[in-house]
Amino acid sequence: MQAMAAVLSLDDVEFRWPGGEPALGGVSGTVGEGTWLAVIGPNGAGKSTLLKVMAGWEQPDVGTVRLWDRPLASYRIRERARAIAVVPQRVGHPYDLTVRTVVALGRTSRHRWWDRVGRLGEDHVQAVERALALTETRTLSERRMSQLSGGEEKRVLLAMALAQETPILLLDEPTAFLDPGHARDFLERVRLLVRDQAKTVVMAYHDLVTVGLYCDRIWAMDRGRLVLAGSAETVLNHPELQRLYGLEFMRLMHPRHHRPMLLFP
Amino acid sequence: MTNLHQPTSAAERRSPAQRRGTARWFIWVLACLMALLLGVVHGSTAIPLGAVLTALIHPGRGIVAVIVWQIRLPRIVAAALVGGALASAGATMQALLQNPLADPYIVGASAGAGLGAVVVETVLPGTLLMAPAAFFGALFSVFLSWTLSRGRGRSAMLTLLLAGYALSVMFSAISTFLMFAREQSLSAIFAWEMGGIHGMTWTTVAVTGVIMLLGLTLLVPERRHMNALLMGEDVALSVGVPVRRSQGILLLSASLLTAAAVYAGGLIGFVGLVVPHVMRRLVGAEHERLLPMTFLAGATFLMLADTLAENLPPLGLLPVGVITAFLGGPYFLYLLADRGRGNRPN
Repeated sequence: MQAMAAVLSLDDVEFRWPGGEPALGGVSGTVGEGTWLAVIGPNGAGKSTLLKVMAGWEQPDVGTVRLWDRPLASYRIRERARAIAVVPQRVGHPYDLTVRTVVALGRTSRHRWWDRVGRLGEDHVQAVERALALTETRTLSERRMSQLSGGEEKRVLLAMALAQETPILLLDEPTAFLDPGHARDFLERVRLLVRDQAKTVVMAYHDLVTVGLYCDRIWAMDRGRLVLAGSAETVLNHPELQRLYGLEFMRLMHPRHHRPMLLFP
Repeated sequence: MTNLHQPTSAAERRSPAQRRGTARWFIWVLACLMALLLGVVHGSTAIPLGAVLTALIHPGRGIVAVIVWQIRLPRIVAAALVGGALASAGATMQALLQNPLADPYIVGASAGAGLGAVVVETVLPGTLLMAPAAFFGALFSVFLSWTLSRGRGRSAMLTLLLAGYALSVMFSAISTFLMFAREQSLSAIFAWEMGGIHGMTWTTVAVTGVIMLLGLTLLVPERRHMNALLMGEDVALSVGVPVRRSQGILLLSASLLTAAAVYAGGLIGFVGLVVPHVMRRLVGAEHERLLPMTFLAGATFLMLADTLAENLPPLGLLPVGVITAFLGGPYFLYLLADRGRGNRPN
């Protein structure tokens, strides 16, 4: 499918939530190294479930997910956490940890035994500082999670995932609850990560305009199936997309970036 | 994005927090020692402070030295250990179940301990086996809840909670049935269930201390995993916490602490629920700080409560559980009211 090396590949993955309809019905596809992949589709299409399976939080009932050359299920939890980081859609924080503690959680998979019994090693402290700096959350570091605004919370969760120093980043609706300014700010940070650090990003997303502007590749899902896969241009220009959403689109070109934009008249 | 990291030196960055941490340790260790001294000085026999201090420094064979070293000290040290262990176990259960209302007994330890005690009192009355039976009853009950919850994946902790509840109800019913069937005077059991630290010997203190030390040692390498668990099991998993194994270790450690506390002091309520709450407000939710501070605060609280229980003149000896419930209940109501006003729960 792609010239680049496959980082994550799915082979006929089926998944069903206990007592529910099949959430994923035979999804196959490959995520290339250093690409930003958007997973789109109407509500209930299986985007979040797909991300959970890619994160290893859920095991597919049928089929396999491969991370590089091995099945994802064969990785130990620590090993997997050094490859894949997740920015969750929301977290509950009933106990109010500080921002610095939350970002430091990202280092868990790299703790050695002496980090576990004593003070955290200097390399961990430095990595946390780097993640705080990259997301511009250093000024928040002594604040408690409950004192943050929605945008700040998202940046902190991104910092936690960056502290993991993984090649792969999974984002589930990362800009939900954010105003357009903060959403753009978040996406720009991700864009720099893909460009400068060659991170592979998989992002479940609703807004087709944003997806067209930022992402390299798109998977369009419908009722647990992958119906369209390809470059952003190909997928957004495909006639099938209108049927998927049951909507008429108007297709435009962004005047400066020359990327596809969809308008809903 | 332009200001890339300018890492400051570790010493420079940590110093204010470190100083706060040192001050906190100092204050709570001091509080602990004060409570200990208070407990040694007060008792049914009035002994002047000077005589107590002399006896502490020169453990001779005088009557004062015997009272101080063989009666009051083991008792107050046991109170400290029980209080600290219950408070730490409570903090652990609250992180494990991600439930601020969890206490050390929530997955069946109290009912299991009660059943153990009643069975032994019924079969072998008058022997000194009641406390060991309670210890094993508590462990057995928690182990049973845990077995029922295994393999439940995502809902394991909910199943643990519910299984613990169901077992508690069943074990309490069996205990009550046995007590009725024997129709004997069960004041021993009743007194034990109210919780009290009586007749401590250094041997009991040592046994309790060793079991608690084991439980606390298990907690040390898990304390940052507990922080991750507060963010939810999925987040913990994705940052690399072996969630199931951690949960198993936390449960084992909390039940060792609880069972040892039950062994020494019976069922003392509210320490394990209220102390972690208060400490979370004071030092934050980070378990690196919360666990040691909770232990010290729990120890201080129970030493004071026990001294009070011993020295309420018109009432004679009160079970310390009555004191802790009397102090802890209203505080908990205050917490609930505070939450109702729209403040965040801890």
